[in-house]
Parts: sequence; structure tokens; C-alpha cells
Amino acid sequence: MAVKIEKTFQVQEPIEKVWAFLSDPRKVVVCVPGASITEQVDEKTYKGAISVKVGPSVSDFKGEIQIVRKDDAAHEIELLGKGQDTRGKGSASMRMTGTVRTLENGATEVVSVAEMNVVGILAQMGGRMIQEVSNIMFEKFSNSFRQQLQGGPVDPNAAKPISGLGLAFSAIKATFGGETKDDPSKEPGKS
Amino acid sequence: MFKTTPEVGGMGHSIKRKEDGRFLQGKGNYVDDVNLPGMVYGHMVRSPFAHARLKSVNTEKAKALPGVLAVITGEDLAKAGLAWMPTLSGDKQMVLATGKVLFQAQEVAFVVAEDRYIAADAAELVEVEYEELPVLVDPKKATDPGSPILREDREEKTNHIFHWEVGDRASTDKNFSTAPVTARVDALFQRCHPAPLETCGCVADFNKATGKLNIYLTSQAPHVHRTLFALVGGIPEQNIRVISPDIGGGFGNKVPIYPGYVCAVVASLTTGIPVKWIETRSENLMSTGFARDYHMTAELAAEKDGTMRALRVKTLADHGAFNATAQPTKFPAGLFSICTGNYVLQDAFCEVDGVYTNKAPGGVAYRCSFRVTEAAYLIERAVDVLAQELKMDPIELRRKNFIGKDQFPYQSKLGWSYDSGDYHANLDKALEFIDYKALRKEQEEKRKKGEFMGIGISTFVEIVGAGPSHTFDIAGIKMFDSAELRIHPTGKGILRMGTKSQGQGHETTYAQIVAQELGIPASDITVEEGDTDTAPYGLGTYASRSTPVSGAATAMAARKIREKARKIAAYLLEASEEDLEWEPGKFWVKGSPSKSKTIQEIAFAAYTNHPQGMEAGLEAVNYYDPPNLTFPFGTYIAVVDIDKGTGAVKIRKFVAVDDCGNIINPMIVEGQIHGGLTEGLAIAFMQLIDYDESGNVQGGTFMDYLLPTAVETPNWETGKTVTPSPHHPFGAKGIGESPNVGSPAAFVNAVVDALSHLGVKHIDMPMTPAKIWQVMKEKGVAG
Repeated sequence: MAVKIEKTFQVQEPIEKVWAFLSDPRKVVVCVPGASITEQVDEKTYKGAISVKVGPSVSDFKGEIQIVRKDDAAHEIELLGKGQDTRGKGSASMRMTGTVRTLENGATEVVSVAEMNVVGILAQMGGRMIQEVSNIMFEKFSNSFRQQLQGGPVDPNAAKPISGLGLAFSAIKATFGGETKDDPSKEPGKS
Repeated sequence: MFKTTPEVGGMGHSIKRKEDGRFLQGKGNYVDDVNLPGMVYGHMVRSPFAHARLKSVNTEKAKALPGVLAVITGEDLAKAGLAWMPTLSGDKQMVLATGKVLFQAQEVAFVVAEDRYIAADAAELVEVEYEELPVLVDPKKATDPGSPILREDREEKTNHIFHWEVGDRASTDKNFSTAPVTARVDALFQRCHPAPLETCGCVADFNKATGKLNIYLTSQAPHVHRTLFALVGGIPEQNIRVISPDIGGGFGNKVPIYPGYVCAVVASLTTGIPVKWIETRSENLMSTGFARDYHMTAELAAEKDGTMRALRVKTLADHGAFNATAQPTKFPAGLFSICTGNYVLQDAFCEVDGVYTNKAPGGVAYRCSFRVTEAAYLIERAVDVLAQELKMDPIELRRKNFIGKDQFPYQSKLGWSYDSGDYHANLDKALEFIDYKALRKEQEEKRKKGEFMGIGISTFVEIVGAGPSHTFDIAGIKMFDSAELRIHPTGKGILRMGTKSQGQGHETTYAQIVAQELGIPASDITVEEGDTDTAPYGLGTYASRSTPVSGAATAMAARKIREKARKIAAYLLEASEEDLEWEPGKFWVKGSPSKSKTIQEIAFAAYTNHPQGMEAGLEAVNYYDPPNLTFPFGTYIAVVDIDKGTGAVKIRKFVAVDDCGNIINPMIVEGQIHGGLTEGLAIAFMQLIDYDESGNVQGGTFMDYLLPTAVETPNWETGKTVTPSPHHPFGAKGIGESPNVGSPAAFVNAVVDALSHLGVKHIDMPMTPAKIWQVMKEKGVAG
């Protein structure tokens, strides 16, 4: 199940500050819901984990993130991540390219293109579910990213897997054209 | 044939289904309704990968969960020699994986716990370490040098399973080389799934004190399953009792033995506790017997005037990870060689190659007599392509090449002896339902306006009712079937069968056969099936074989009883047997009709006043071995309109004129036709078990694998012709599968017909709106 996700967002910070943040996996990972870096293997390779909970199904992926390419002049970074669920429920890999550039209004634009390949239980839920779960995770990511850059408080939920039911519920609503809830900590029925 | 009164309810009466009382009131008794004291529950741990090395299975955390009794792994089964089991096709299949996994959702471990929820939670705690391997999804790449060899357990280091051919290749090729016109179609009959409303499951109950193993099983073939459990498990057969209670639809899905059954039996044998295992919907769709997956090519050679000369067929069959297709032993591609259809041909040749891929095993006959659906679809598609090539009307082309009614029994070029048929009369009957000329004129006018309508026709022949036993066996067991009829002193009776209804209405139709043969009201006959301790041995219900084989056995058993009844009547009436006349329900003395004895009086005498020297009682058993198969046929016509904006197809009219020989219950026959057409509609437009390039199932839920509902289902108009089977005791042929076999071609032919003027020759199923819209877009006509 290959899914391609392209996202763009803006940050009101100078490009070098954004680039310094984006090009450091240890910093970026803090913004990814449920993700952590457990070990730095060498200059370009890290070991990490990510927990994704969709509905009743939790997948704890453990694996490696590698910096394939980092171009400080062009402000472009390419990462390759691969992991397998610790309880054998599947695997996922992702090739992500991140680029930053200065806009005319002085803001910095972050463009991220991720090609994910998911095998296993998550993949059986179909492309539409993966796409929507990714959308919601990305939404969380870009919010945290902004907050981190601006030196704001770290979202205490950021490092935890986002609430399973909430995530599945939001994804289902989004799939069927409903409103996407931004606060996944709310359980369905409580909103 | 005598016509019985409605009160007796013999052949031809639309009496209401006896089983519906309990079904409509929610009083059916299915496997999941079986709850035994102390019963525990199993849950399967399944592979997320389509192909991976199994590095370790850690069950410690799962076992530590309170309420968990056991976690069985492939290694545990291997110690007992049960890690593998034989399939119905002479291959073997892993019960629980050892070494590696070969398809997504393959069985890896079996958790047994005090309740279902604990079992499911514990399954989540089983830690399995995999090493992913390259995945083979495309069967066309199965024998490429670079493709991974899937089955390391086999001596043959290839993904090729079998090559099977029938007919005369040389003479067919020669015929083609001189033919003025040829037509070719490449058609995939996609992987679909029977998706019965009740999923598969069992309750295994081993009693350590008595040594008796009861298995409540969703089984279409309980006796065969009992024998296989005895042979494979080494359990004495008299100690195994398989009980198939009410079955919520089978359609071939409940013919194989699945790993879940074996694991539940092993768990109960080990613990002495009853173990229930019931599949989830996704488990059913992802791991149990799929249907079709035939990549087919058909070529027809013909004269310029449309006279057909030869047929050449080449097929690649995707069997998934294990060859677990349900077929008679001598027929690796089932009865696919019926692909010559209803047509007179000079030559024919058909070859099929089966291959392994990283997909679920199966290849069951989904409402189909062993690959007949694929065959009927292929020839009916090919004939339409030939008509397009010849610029000839598809109905005229068919009519010109039909086997004539005086040519029966007809010997086909691929080896079958068609029992009887009248294809011209059947086609004419179907055409009475429509104004064909007016429809063609309307189509022409619509095309000028840029609108799309199509008329699709399918004239099919089936081959059902296997045996005969000299040719047909399943796993070595000959394909006969049986009936045991016992008449009680008060003239009522019980009929026990080797078959097993899954919704077909056997409790009603078999009783009607007895009513016809003996004149005992159908309501006085209890029909019992599915308990191997009480029923006579039989091969089960699939491939439309119940009426052709067991229905025949019922008639033969009833006739044995009638012969004994004649002797008793002669004794009671003090007449000679030769002087007695029979009509359903009584014997009377020739010339004096008032001197008579009813069957009820005779039955009473059989227990109270039978002639000295004769055995008391009134009962008979028959094991029927059919002399040939039966060949039901029909004409289906679909008229469709296509929305050019969305690609959606509306079925404006659908006509089904079937010929299944003599009919037992017209209402049940019509119900079977409605059901089969609805399933055919779903296959044609909605259903596909798809896999992505990593081997992930893309049809594992009802979100993706669509079931037809009343919303999609058009009005079915049905009609009939009656051409009795000459060799069947009461001239019946079987009906359950015809509508599913014959209808997909009618739908596809109609859609292609709507777009044929644009050069469209074929569209593969499922014909989703998106797919049709894409075709129209390519032709520049999409809205």
C-alpha cells in the first residue's frame, strides 16, 4: 500500500532558524505524534520508534531513520525511515523530502513530500484511511513544529500516540466528508 | 408424471418452505448458537505479511494474561505432525505457519482463552518476528526466472503447479490456420469471494471419558470432513461425529477444511474442554476459499457467414499460496472444459496452467460447478467479440451455431456428452420478453444523441451433478450420494440425506420428491441432514449436485418402498401384485377401484399385519451413482443504460429464461434464480479481492468488498422452458448455480454492446463506474 502525501505550511520565522530545526532529526521527531529517537548510530543514522493507534489497533514501529541527502545550500533534506511493528503486525517505510524557502511576505514555507509504504494491518484499512490518518498526524506535526520554533511550550501530547478512538473517528469523518476534529484528545460523543 | 394434489405437494407445487418458520422467527440454530458447558474460545494470530521468514514467535506475554489457557504455534503442531494438512487438490497447506508465511492473514498461532475478548486481547500480545521476503503478486510473473520460489517445502523448485489440457491441439491449430475469420478475447475472471452471511466456524468437543469427538462445523460436506479428520488426525472414525447445524450460506466457501477447525480440534483434544472458534468477517474474506482468478484467452475461428469452426482456450489460474481448490481429483481445472458452450464446433482445444502466488489459497466453486462460471463467461464473451468481428447480430450468430435439439445426446469436442437441450426454443422464449428490433432502433437513435444503451445476451449451458463415480472423486471418495427413507407406522416418515442445505430449501424439496413418489404429503416427511451419526454417507452439497444426485437417491429409495408396499397391498387386498394399479398415495385392484389401500394403511400394516416371511418395517436406503452429469441451460438478456457523466450502469431490464428440466418447487426455483442473478450482478459490477504490490489485501472488509443490496438489484423477470434430463429418475437437472453462471456474461456483453460502436471490445469485471468512465474518457465520450 503506497501512499504519497504532499504538504505545505508556513512559519513566521527566518529560513535559517527553520532549516536548522528541520535538518536535525532529533528536533523534528519531538513534533511527530508518538515518535521518539532512541539512539544515534552515526552522523546520518538514528534508531527510533513510533506508535500509531488506529481504532483498536496499536502499531509500535521500531526502526531506523537515515539522512540520505542533506543540502544546506538548497535547504533540502531527504530522509529514509524503515520500521517493523514490534509485535509483528506489519511494517512501514517512508521516504520524505523536506524543503524550505523564503516567501515574499518574509515567512518561511516548508514543503514536505512523503512516500509511505505500509504493509500489514494498517494497510488493510485501505488507502483512504492511511491518507486521512496521515493528514491528521501531519496537522499535529505542523502545529507542534510552529510551537517549537517559536519557543512555545511543547504539546504534552505530542510524544504520545494520539488517542486511538479519536484518530479513527476523525479519519472516518474526514473520509466521509465530515468536519475533521482538530483535537484528537476528545472522544467521540464528548465533542 | 402424475400430478399430485396441493395437499400432497409433490412435484410442481410451490409449497412454502418448511424451514422458513424457524429462520423468519430467528429460531435457526447455527454453529455460533452452540454453547456447551465450560466452553472456551479460540482466536487466530495472523500474518501481516504476504511473504516473510518467521524468525520467532514469542507467546510468553499472551500466556501470562489471566484467562488464557494455551497458545498453540506451528512448532507445537509440528511436534504432533500436524503443522501441515492435505488440501482437497492433492497439495498440502500449513495449519499454523512454520518456517515462513506465504500470504497476508495466514494463520500463525492459535490462542485459547476463557472468553472471546480475552482470546482476542491475548492474540495482540503474541510477539512474532518476521523477515520480509520479496512478494509475488502477479501470476503472470510466477514462472519468471527472477521471481521468488514460494514453496520451499516442495521438491519441484517452481511456482508452477500443473498443466492440464484437453482436446486436439494439432487439429485445432490447423483449423485456425485456414479459417477466414478469427476473434480473440483476453478476459480476467477476477478473484472474488463467496462471502456467505455466516462466516466459518466450529465447536470442537472432545470427551476424554468416552473418547468421542463431536465437531459442530460450518460444513457443506460433513461426511467427507469426518473421514478427513479420521485419516489426518488418526482418530477412529466411529468416535468422530460431525454436526452441521443450520448453515447461513455456503456457495462453496464451506467445502474446504480450514486451519481454524484443526486448531480448535487440537485444543479440545488436548484440554478435554469444548473449544469454539468463529471467524470474523475480515478473516473470512482474507483467508478462506476465494473463487475464480482465471486469466483467460479464447479464440474462435469461423467462416465468413458466421459458421463456427474451432475454439482455442489458454488460461492461467492463480491458486494462491497453496493449491486448495475444491475440484474432483482428475480435473485440476474442474469442469472448465464445458467452455465449448452451446455450439457445434469442428475442433476445440483448452489448456490451463496453475501457479502459486502470495495470496490466500482457495479456488472454490462460488455458486458454480467447478469452474463452469469461468467457462460460460469466456465462451459467451468470445461469441460476442466474434459477432463484432463479423458485424453480425449476436443473437443470429448464436442461433446459427446452436446444437440442434435433435443432436442430443451431443458429444462435445472436449469430452462431454450433453444429456438434452433445446437451445433455440429457450432463446425464442426469452426474446418474447423484449422487442428486440425496437431496442436496436432505440439504441441507434440514442447513439446519434450521444447516449449509451446496450443489449447483452448470454446463452449458456452448465454441467452439474457430479459423479458419475467412475470419473469423479474428491480426495479419493467417489462422488455418489445417498438417501435413507423410513416410513413410520402412521404413514409419516423421516428422510435422511448425505447432503447439507445451506439455504437451498432441502427440507421442502426432498419431501416433495417423496410426496411425488409415494403420495405421502410433503408436510408429513421430516428431512434431516448434517449429522454424520444418523445420516447415510454422502459427498455433500455443492456444484448443484443435490437434486441431480441426492434427489435421484430419494426417488430411488421411495421406489424401493413402493415395491415393498405393493407386496403388502397385494396381501391386504388378497390380489396378485400384477393386478394392482398405482397412483400417488394408493394401490387399487384393476377393474375395481373401490378395492384399494392407501400408503398410510399399508405403512401401518408393515408394522402390525405384514405377510409372514416378509421383513417388518417400511424403509429403504439408496446410494445413487448418476450415469452422467446433467446440463441445465438458459438465455439471459440484459438491457442497460450508461450515464456518461458518472459511468454508472442502470439495468433497465433483465430477462432470465432457465431450463432446469422438470421442476420440484417453482417458487424455490425462482428464489434460487433471483439470488444467483443478484450475486452475478455483484460480481459483474462490484466485487474484487484485490492485492497491492506488497500483497496487502484490498478487499478485506465490506467497505471494499461490496455486497449487493435491494438498492442495486433490478427487477428480475423470469421464464422457463422444460427439457427433462433423460437419465435422471424424474427428469430434473439442478438450478442453484445457473443464474450465477450465466449472468456475468449478459452484464458485460450489455455494457460492451453500449460502447461497441466506439471500438470497445472488452471490459474486465468488476465494471465499476470509475472503470467505465475511464473507458469512455479514452474514447472521448465521457461527460
